[in-house]
Formats: sequence, C-alpha cells, structure tokens
Amino acid sequence: MTAQPNREGSKSSFTRFLDLSETKLAALLLAPAAILLVLIVVYPVGRLIWTSFFNLSLTSGMPASFAGFENYGLLLKDPIFWQTTKNTLLITVVTVPGALLLGIALALMANLPFERKWPVRLSLLIPWALPLSFAGLIFAWFFHSEYGVVNDVLRRFGLKGIIWFNSEEWAMTAICLTIIWKTSSFMALIILAGLQTIPRSLYEAADVDGAGRVRQFFEITLPLLKPSIIIALIFRTITALQTFDIPYTMTRGGPGSSTATLAMYIHQNTVDFLDLGYGSALAVVMFLLSMAVTMVYLRFIRSTR
Amino acid sequence: MASVSFRNLEKAYGALRIVKSINLEIADREFVVLVGPSGCGKSTTLRMLAGLESISGGDVYIGDKLVNHLPPRERDIAMVFQDYALYPHKTVFENMAFSLKVRGIPTAEIGPRVQDAAEMLGIAHLLDRKPGQLSGGQRQRVAMGRAIVRRPQIFLFDEPLSNLDAKLRGQVRAEIKKLHQAIGTTILYVTHDQVEAMTLADRIVILRSGDIEQVGTPDEVYNNPNSVFVGGFVGAPAMNFIKAKLERDTLHFETGDHLILPSAQAQDVESYHGREMIVGIRPEHFSVGPAAADALNGRVQVVEPLGSDTLVHLSFGSSVLVVRMAPDAHPAVGETLSIGVQPCRVHLFDPTTERSLRRTPLSAAKAA
Repeated sequence: MTAQPNREGSKSSFTRFLDLSETKLAALLLAPAAILLVLIVVYPVGRLIWTSFFNLSLTSGMPASFAGFENYGLLLKDPIFWQTTKNTLLITVVTVPGALLLGIALALMANLPFERKWPVRLSLLIPWALPLSFAGLIFAWFFHSEYGVVNDVLRRFGLKGIIWFNSEEWAMTAICLTIIWKTSSFMALIILAGLQTIPRSLYEAADVDGAGRVRQFFEITLPLLKPSIIIALIFRTITALQTFDIPYTMTRGGPGSSTATLAMYIHQNTVDFLDLGYGSALAVVMFLLSMAVTMVYLRFIRSTR
Repeated sequence: MASVSFRNLEKAYGALRIVKSINLEIADREFVVLVGPSGCGKSTTLRMLAGLESISGGDVYIGDKLVNHLPPRERDIAMVFQDYALYPHKTVFENMAFSLKVRGIPTAEIGPRVQDAAEMLGIAHLLDRKPGQLSGGQRQRVAMGRAIVRRPQIFLFDEPLSNLDAKLRGQVRAEIKKLHQAIGTTILYVTHDQVEAMTLADRIVILRSGDIEQVGTPDEVYNNPNSVFVGGFVGAPAMNFIKAKLERDTLHFETGDHLILPSAQAQDVESYHGREMIVGIRPEHFSVGPAAADALNGRVQVVEPLGSDTLVHLSFGSSVLVVRMAPDAHPAVGETLSIGVQPCRVHLFDPTTERSLRRTPLSAAKAA
C-alpha cells in the first residue's frame, strides 16, 4: 500500500476556512453582530449596574469605593426620587393611551382613499420628525399665559386664560398634551402600516355579512391591528418612561419638582451634581422599569395568540 | 330565492369603460357562470350586483326590487371571495356565525344553523380552528359555509377555485354543483376557467372587453359559438382556425386540400362564394382513418400523449392544427397524416367581423 501524501499540511488558509464545521461557521458569521451588541448594549448596561454599587461622586474628590446596595437604600428614602418616579408614571399612564387613541384616529384618517396620499402622510410625519426639545419650545410658547395661542383661543371662547406653568396640575396637563401631540404621529405611522396589511376583501365580506362601519372597526380592524398596537405601545411606553426633553424645555421640572421626571433627575445627579454612583442606581431603576413593562406586553401578546 | 336582472348595466372609471351596457336576465334558482379573459369585466359585474362597486349606468334588479343604491347588507346576497376573505382572528364557527350575529339572530338559533351548514360541507370537526390552521380546500369550504348559513336569495362566487390545485379544484367544483342541487339558490359565478363554466353552469355568459359575447347553455356555446372569440375560448384545447376560400359548396385550403360542406351549411354561406372565410374545427372533431377524398393532410410536428387521449400538432400550410386522437395513436414526428373532418362540425366565420355564419344551429344530439 502506498502512503497517501499529507494533504492537510498543504491546505491554504482559505481552504481551511471553507472546511469549518457548521457550528464554527455560524459562530464566525454571527461574531460581528455579537461583538457590536456587546460593545453598545451589554458593556454599557453592565458598566451602569457595576457603577451603581459604588460611591462615585466626581465633586467629592474621593476615589470610587464599593458601596453595595447603599445607593439603592438612599433612593428608597429620597422623596425627589419618589416624586419624579410618580411624575414619570403619570406621564406614561396619560400620554401612552392618549397618543394611542389619537394615533389610531390619525392612521384611520390617513388610510382613507385620498386622491393624493402624500400630503396626508407628510403631515403625519412632521410632528414625528421634529426634535423633541424643539416641540417642547414651540408648545411652551403655545401655552404662554400672555402670548400663547392656547389662552388666546380660550379667551375668544369667553373663557379665562390659564397660567399654565404656575400650577402643578396645569403644567403637567400642558406637558402631557404636548407629548401626546408629538408622539401620536409615531403611533399613527405604525398603526397605518398595520392597517395597510388588512386585506380589503375582509371589509367587503363584512359589508356583505351586514356589519356597519363601527362594527367593522371593533370586529375586524381593532383585532387585526393588535400586533401593531402592541409594538407601538412597547416603543411608546419605554420612551415615555424616559421622558426628558419636553418637560425639560417647557418647565425645567417646575413648579418645584412637580413636573420633573426620573430621566431629568438622573440627568441632574449625573451631569449637574456629577454623582455617578447614585445617578447609575437611578438609571438601573429606570432600566428595570422599562424591562418590566416590555415583559408585561410580551406576555400579553403570547397569552392572546 | 330570486331572479336577477341587469338592464344596460355600465361601469366606467373616467373614460375607461369596463362594463358596456350589459343586459341579462337570470332566472330564479339558475346557475349562471360569467366567463371571460382577465379584464373583461366579469368580476366588476358581480361586484356591482353585490353592491361592492358603484354603478355608472343602468339598473340592477334582484327579484322586482331595484337595488342600485342599496348597500350590500340590504341586498340579501352572500358572496364567496377569491381569497375566501375569512376573518383570520375568528374561529371557523365565529366566521360562519358572524353574519347571523350581526343580523341579530338569537344565539340559540345560530349554533344549530352553523352546525347544519358545517355538516353539509364536512367541516363540522373544524369549527374550533382558526383559518390559519386550515388547508386551502378547507378554507374554501368554510367560505362556502359562511355563505350558505345565511340562507340568502343569491350566492355570488368570485373565482372561488383559483387558489386551489387542479385535483382539489375538481373536487370542490363537484361539491359546488351538489350544493346548488341541494339548496337550489340562484348562483352567479365568475371564473376565467372555461372548464369550470362548462361543468357548473345552467347557462354561460361569455364576456369580452365589457360586452356580452354570447349567452347560452354549455351545449349551445360549445356547439354553436357565435364568434371566433367564443369558439376559441370554449373548449380545451381551443378550436383550430384556418383560412379557406369558398367555391360553391367547397372550401379550398391553401394546402390544396378541400372540404365539401353539407347542403344546409353551404346555403347559409352562399353569399360568400369566391371569398375567403375563417373555418373553425375543434380538435375532437377530426377523424383519422383511410385517406378520404376530402381529407386534410398535415405533417406531424408534436405528439402530446395525455393518457386518456393523444394531442397531435400538425403543420397545415401556414397554420398548426391540433388534433385529438385515440390514446393508442402514436404517429411519428415528420409523418404526413391524412385526417377527415365531420363536415357538419365545421364552423364558418366572417373574416372581417369574425361572427359565425351558421344559421341553422347544431344540436348536441345531431352532432353526436
């Protein structure tokens, strides 16, 4: 028997690459995405959680020291944390359903058989495309007690103008209305995309079956929009929990801390007071809150499938 | 149950006329099939009857009632859509019960009605499933169940079999026919498939570019097509069309072959003496046998054995003739075949108008 020449040794690196097992090849192909995810998601979140266990204040001049759950203990006793969390939850509870309802109405309107669709779609896009702080500044002027268009309209109807930013309730109302206006277009875009996936023949079948427009909405449109609505709600709720720009530009959290949000309090602690340990603990709470909400929605999707 | 009447029915989108003044009377309990190529206006006509499409002109009557401006729900019709249009989030039971629920039928009555319809269609075991969990054929049956549970005056079918494979199509076709025999409701059925039209219809309406080309029983449109279009559309494979010159009672083909017409038919076309005309012969109306004086001679180009019979493509002058032969016939490619024609089965058409020149209709019995 003649000896076979050792071909392994003569293989080029390219040939060896082609000979990889499927598992190795899969790992190799997934590696770039995995590395990117680690760099931009896992590391920052991990670092945030890690920092939250330290006393790390850049103004104290002291080196970082391990504090365990001290920062978490502090925040539980911090009345501003509770106030800003309550405000954040209030904004979420009011603006998410508000934007959803307005978004559905706008999407239904945009889905009407207009001869020219682009002006309608464009008008939907504009509020979404506007920077948040810009929307906050515009609406701060709209709600201005002297020169604002809102008070002007109220006065034209014989009502008294409101000093919007002097009372906790009216300031919060103005902020919530602004957020609803700003974010409903995002909801509308997602719901419009969902609406366009519903076949026209279903409505025709419902017409023949005898269902009127209202019944068609509740029996066909709404159930079939559920996946789009859930996606829109997940995105919107997470961003609502992170609300910052609009209250920051409209009221700076005032009067007092009555309109300040958790994100603003995190910003104040980390950027203004340079207390990175405590700010990180606050941010972890916000992260957990977002995760919890997402889990609830995903559970809901699974249970209704 | 009700009759249907279209009077000068029109549909136009701007200057584009999709349906051009259709007049048609459909009798109570009749099964009428609208057939024609894509874009001929058949679905639009059906949708105008359903109330899903507005009418540009003319009138639609269901029974004695003018329904031009009635919404679909007030027309007492049920429709089976091409894509079935089943509500994906509802179970089969809910799909079938929906129209009854909407119409305020008591719940105690809905259950048995749905159950009856489901049993009739053999889908009773599927009532708890959602459409996504059903096969194409099962979905088709659910769509029919949704329609029959209503007990409407008229059933409308818009190409209901076009999403099914060939085997299932044949099966469901038979079921639709059985259904009509069982419930006897007036049916208007749209298809582009002439086999469906021939097998299902009491009467076939052949549409072309928004106009009715011919109305008749399957036998009439097959045996007496009134135009080249109908002759070519009905029957598979399609009718062969060849040009020939008429001299007294004899047709002369470009190949030098000739065919003597029966005297009745020759009289019908007397005025065409010395002129060219279009001759239509169905593939199944040729006969292959010992060479006859008036046989046509063609060279075999392609042989298609189908099992039940064999289709042979013959080059015949500048034309190609398709001839249906016995299953055991295996002519060799390149061979010259001499084929006879039953002269009474020959269709003659005006070369300009393409209308049939036959004045004495050919009955199926006579043809047989």
